[in-house]
Amino acid sequence: MSLAAPPPKELAGIELLWEDRLSRAYDGYPAAADYRVRLAAALVEVAVDLQALGGPAAGPADLLAGDLCLARASRLLADAGDQALQISFARAVETVSGSAAAGRPVPEISGLLRQALEERS
Amino acid sequence: MIAGRRLEFRTERPTQFLDLTGQLQELVTDAGLLNGRIHLQSLHTTLGLTVNENEPLLLADFESTLERLVPTAAEYLHDDFERRQNVPADEPANGHAHNRMLLLHPSHTALVEDGRLVLGRWQSIFAVELDGPRERRLALQLEGDFAAAATSPRPAGDLVELELARQLLVDSDPVGKPMRRLVEAGGKRLRPHLVMLASRLGPAHDELRAAVLAAAVELIHAATLVHDDYVDDSAVRRGRPTVAAAEGPARAIAVGDYYFAKATRLIAELGNPEVTLTIAEAIEAVCFSQIDDFELRGRYPGDHSDYMKVVRGKTAALIAGACAAGAQLSGASETVVERMRRYGDLMGIAFQMADDLLDYSPSTGKPAGQDIRMKVVSLPLIYASEDREVGPEVRTLLDGSLADDDVRRVADLVLRSGAIGRVRDEAKDLALAAVRELEPLDLDGVRAPLEELALGAVNRNS
Repeated sequence: MSLAAPPPKELAGIELLWEDRLSRAYDGYPAAADYRVRLAAALVEVAVDLQALGGPAAGPADLLAGDLCLARASRLLADAGDQALQISFARAVETVSGSAAAGRPVPEISGLLRQALEERS
Repeated sequence: MIAGRRLEFRTERPTQFLDLTGQLQELVTDAGLLNGRIHLQSLHTTLGLTVNENEPLLLADFESTLERLVPTAAEYLHDDFERRQNVPADEPANGHAHNRMLLLHPSHTALVEDGRLVLGRWQSIFAVELDGPRERRLALQLEGDFAAAATSPRPAGDLVELELARQLLVDSDPVGKPMRRLVEAGGKRLRPHLVMLASRLGPAHDELRAAVLAAAVELIHAATLVHDDYVDDSAVRRGRPTVAAAEGPARAIAVGDYYFAKATRLIAELGNPEVTLTIAEAIEAVCFSQIDDFELRGRYPGDHSDYMKVVRGKTAALIAGACAAGAQLSGASETVVERMRRYGDLMGIAFQMADDLLDYSPSTGKPAGQDIRMKVVSLPLIYASEDREVGPEVRTLLDGSLADDDVRRVADLVLRSGAIGRVRDEAKDLALAAVRELEPLDLDGVRAPLEELALGAVNRNS
């Protein structure tokens, strides 16, 4: 369990995911960042993993959970009001999903997200 | 003034009655025809026109009458390909269809007064397919007095189409091609239309920025459809193979993600934090209720409260978001934004209820019984399952796997239960409540199309 978890309202509907893998992903992003940005990055990372982009198709339940993660991430970034990060996170998902659709090697999403965070800081 | 149009649609079977009334009214509204006539002409020799009542059993009577008067199995010289000359290789044996056409009309003229088709209470305008499934076209001419601002066909709609085409053009084929196929197949464009109308409500109205938002909202809607079709295992949408069916589920997931991300980026690039947040909240609500919808299938058909929860998120959230975000983009006041949001919410729920009813009408493009077969959350089924008389049998049938006979039986029970009338009344009440939300607002020329959209949402045939 992460020591500094985001407020429970931000984990509504994804509590099990938080226990399972989301908290680990969250801890992997800079602690200095706004919790909404950290959680958004972790959600995008987990969504790409759940939806198995670049691999065999995920099942419907994982697909829908991944969609909710992407949507929550988008809303958190909108809440945080950081336009530059909204754009760079969206571009990271476009890069990964575009590669997956084309059958090309899929870049690590966490690398793209960290790069976006570094460029912002 | 005269304006020409074409109406294109795909039929699914021979002797299919397609109720065109809603689409024709939409054309009249979009063209801004206030007083005059709309002329319709079939461009086929086995597609007729008629005006009659849209009542499922009556339409079955018509089908029987045509069969009795001009039997399919009778002999027709037209079907004797050895005697005919220059017969195309794919010529069907359809002498009966041509002969039945003698009983129908190739053209029809309807009057328009105060922007409304003049029809009696029970009258609907039908195209009658005698030889489908086929791609069909009607030529239309609208003649009379037009509203000054509407002399070109949906100029705002054209802008959205251009923006959609522009955004799809720059994408690589693996993602762009399947999405172009889906977007170009049509759709009602309800959400972008609402964005464009709402964007005229504030002092900072900018048609080009509104078109970007409208196109992005349509791409979000399309992305959810791509994922939905995979989850529902649907093979066909808008008459074409779904992305999952054509490209495989792995690519469908990637395509949906790509356009979800691209659309959120386009919205972020508009640089209006309120708009970004409104759409982000709407998408979150959509995704939440898709999970609710999926989980509900384990205790199908659920109850009214389950239904409202799913529909408010899955259908109404993005419609309400489109209304609110369009108004926010134009700098409209908080009062206008909130009333537009409530208008969209009520209209979205009414729209979904009307969509549920299409499952029980043989005259629509939607395959009959599809919701029952797919166990989709549907209000007529919920009401029928609660009915004292037919409810126990409906629930028993829905508990098992459904063969074609079971689907037909469930549909019969729903029709017998009075559920259809209840749902229709509830949808109408919601549409009227949506219209009432607009009453206190100064809507600067967009009141009529907004009211039309709300009321049209419950008078659907596709």
